[in-house]
Amino acid sequence: MSARTRCDTIATKMNTVQVNNWSELRSWLTRSTDDRVFTGVAGGIGARLGVGSGYARAGFFGLGLTGFGLVIYPLLFALSGGTAPSTDLVGDEIDRRQRLGLTFMFVGAMVAFASGGTWLDGPTIGALTLIAFGIAAVWDRGIGVATDQSRIRIIIGAVVIVAGMAVLLGSTDRLTGLGPVVLAVGITMAGLILVFGPWALRLAGDLGEERRDRIRSEERAEMAAHLHDSVLQTFAMIQRTDDPKKMTTLARSQERELRSWLYGARGGDQGQMLSDALEDMADRVEQAHDVPVDVVVVNDLPMSPRIEAVVAAGGEAATNAARHSGSAKVSVYAEVHDGVLEVFVSDQGTGFNPAALPPDRHGLRQSVFGRMHRHGGTAEILSEPGEGTEIHLTMPLEPS
Amino acid sequence: MTVRVFLVDDHELFLSGVRGELADRDRFDVAGWATDVDDAVAAIRRLVPDIVLVDVHMPGGGGLSVIRNVTETHPDIRFLALSVSDAPEDVIAMIRAGARGYVTKTIAGDELADALARTADGDAVFSPRLAGFVLDAFAGTLPQPDDPELDQLTPREREVLRQIARGHTYKQVARRLSISVKTVETHVSAVLRKLQLSSRHELARWATDRRIV
Repeated sequence: MSARTRCDTIATKMNTVQVNNWSELRSWLTRSTDDRVFTGVAGGIGARLGVGSGYARAGFFGLGLTGFGLVIYPLLFALSGGTAPSTDLVGDEIDRRQRLGLTFMFVGAMVAFASGGTWLDGPTIGALTLIAFGIAAVWDRGIGVATDQSRIRIIIGAVVIVAGMAVLLGSTDRLTGLGPVVLAVGITMAGLILVFGPWALRLAGDLGEERRDRIRSEERAEMAAHLHDSVLQTFAMIQRTDDPKKMTTLARSQERELRSWLYGARGGDQGQMLSDALEDMADRVEQAHDVPVDVVVVNDLPMSPRIEAVVAAGGEAATNAARHSGSAKVSVYAEVHDGVLEVFVSDQGTGFNPAALPPDRHGLRQSVFGRMHRHGGTAEILSEPGEGTEIHLTMPLEPS
Repeated sequence: MTVRVFLVDDHELFLSGVRGELADRDRFDVAGWATDVDDAVAAIRRLVPDIVLVDVHMPGGGGLSVIRNVTETHPDIRFLALSVSDAPEDVIAMIRAGARGYVTKTIAGDELADALARTADGDAVFSPRLAGFVLDAFAGTLPQPDDPELDQLTPREREVLRQIARGHTYKQVARRLSISVKTVETHVSAVLRKLQLSSRHELARWATDRRIV
C-alpha cells in the first residue's frame, strides 16, 4: 500500500469521526462487549480507532485527572449506540503513525487542560499519564507471545512507568517524607507487578484452559471405554449369532444397559432404587428365557429387605410367565401408594385355572407365595385359561 | 375409509420399514414422508394427511418443532410420536406439544397399525410406560382447589391408567372394569387432554424433580 492510499484511508476514517448526524455517531460509536473495564466505551473507541483499548483507557485516565474525562466518559457512554464485540473491528492496517498521532492528541489535550488550571498540578498529571501509557504499552494485546516486538514494548513500557514514577516522586512532597528504602521497595514491587502482571495472568488462564481440556478428554476416554465394553461387544456378538431370538435378546439387554447408563445416574448417589432392582430382574429373566420383560414403575423408592423380597418374588413370577405362558412379552408394573408397594406381573399367554394349580409348581408356591407371606405381604393369581395371567403382589412398606 | 399417513424420520431404513409394514394393510395410505423438519412441515401442509407418525429425535429441532409448526396452521392433523427413547422428558414434551400418543420403535407392526388407526379415530394411544409416566406425574397430589376440573385425575381414570400400565389392552381393561372399550377410550382421551392442558405446579415439580425441565 502506498503512503498516499494510506493517508486516504486515514482521512476517510477521520471523516467518519466528524459526523454531524446523531444516529451516524451512535452507530459509529459502540461499546465493546468483550473488551471492557467499566462499560466498554474505551474498548469501543480503541477498536474503532484501531489502537489497543489500553491506550484509549490511558487517555481517559489522563483526561479524568484533569476533570474533563469525568465529563466526557459518561457523555460518550450516553451517545454510544448499543454494544458490539470489538475483536472484529480491529484492523490490521493501522500503523504506528496513527497510534503516535493519537498519543499526541491525548497529550495535547492533557496539556491544554492542565494549563487551564485544574485540581492537580501539571507535573503530577504528566507523571500519572506517563505511567498510564506505560501500563497500556505493557498490557497491550500480543503480550504472552514472545516476539521481539512485544519484548521491546514491555521494556519501553517499563521505562515509561519508572520514568513516570520518578517524576511523581520528584514532584510530590508527601511521598518523600517516607523512608527511602520502603519507598524504593514499594516502587520496585509496583513496577514488577505492572510489568509482569499481564504475563502471570495469561499464564494462569492458560493453566485453567489446559485443565478444562484434560477433563474433557478424560470424559471422552471414559465414554469411549464404556461404548467399547458394551455396545461394540454386543455388536460383535450379534454378528456371530445366527439365532434371531438371541440377537433380539442381546440387542434389548444392550439397549437397557445403555439407557440406564445415559439416564440412570440422574437420581444421584442414593443407592439402589426399586426401579433399578426391577430392571435388573427383568434383564436376567429376559436373558434366560428370550422373552422381553417391560418394567413400569410409579413412585420409586429405595431398596430395603422387604422390597428385596417383593423383587425376588416378582422375578420368580416373571420367570414363570416367560417359561410357561407362551406370551410374546411379560409386563411388570410396580406402584407405591398409601404406604403399600404393589407389583403386577402380567402376560398375555395361555393362562390357567389357579384353583387347579399343579402341586409340582414349586416356584409359584414357595418362591412367590411363601416369600411374600414370610415378609408380611400377600400374593394372588388372577388368571383364566386363554386370558393370560396376572400375579398381584402386595407389600406394606412398614411392618404391621 | 383409508387413513392417510405421513411419515417423518431421519433414518431412511426405518422409514422404508414402516412403509413396507403399512403397504400390506388396506386401511392405510402412505401420503408421503420426509427426513428432516423443514421438508416435513412443508409437505404436511401441502398434503394435509390424517395422521403424522413423527420421530422425536431429528436434526433441526426434532419432532417437537414439526408438531408445533404444523399445528399452528393445521390444528386438525393428528400426531403419533415414535422414538427409540422413552426417557420421560421426551415423552412428556411430545405429549404436551400435542401428540396424541407415544410409541417406542420396538413396537410390533400390528401394534403400530393399531396405534395409528386409533389415533386417526381421535383416540389417545397410551403405552404401559406412558401410562406409568402419567400416573407418576399425577401421583400423590392433593386436590387442587383452584382448578380441580382441569388438573386432577378421576379415580376411574387412574384405575384405567393403572390397568394399561400393567400391560393390558384396551379390550382387557374394558372387561376387567366392566365398561365398554369406548368408555376406556374416553377416559384415556380425557387424561391426555388434562396432560396437554395442565399447567399445574405438581406436573412442573414432577418434571423438575426428575430434571426434565
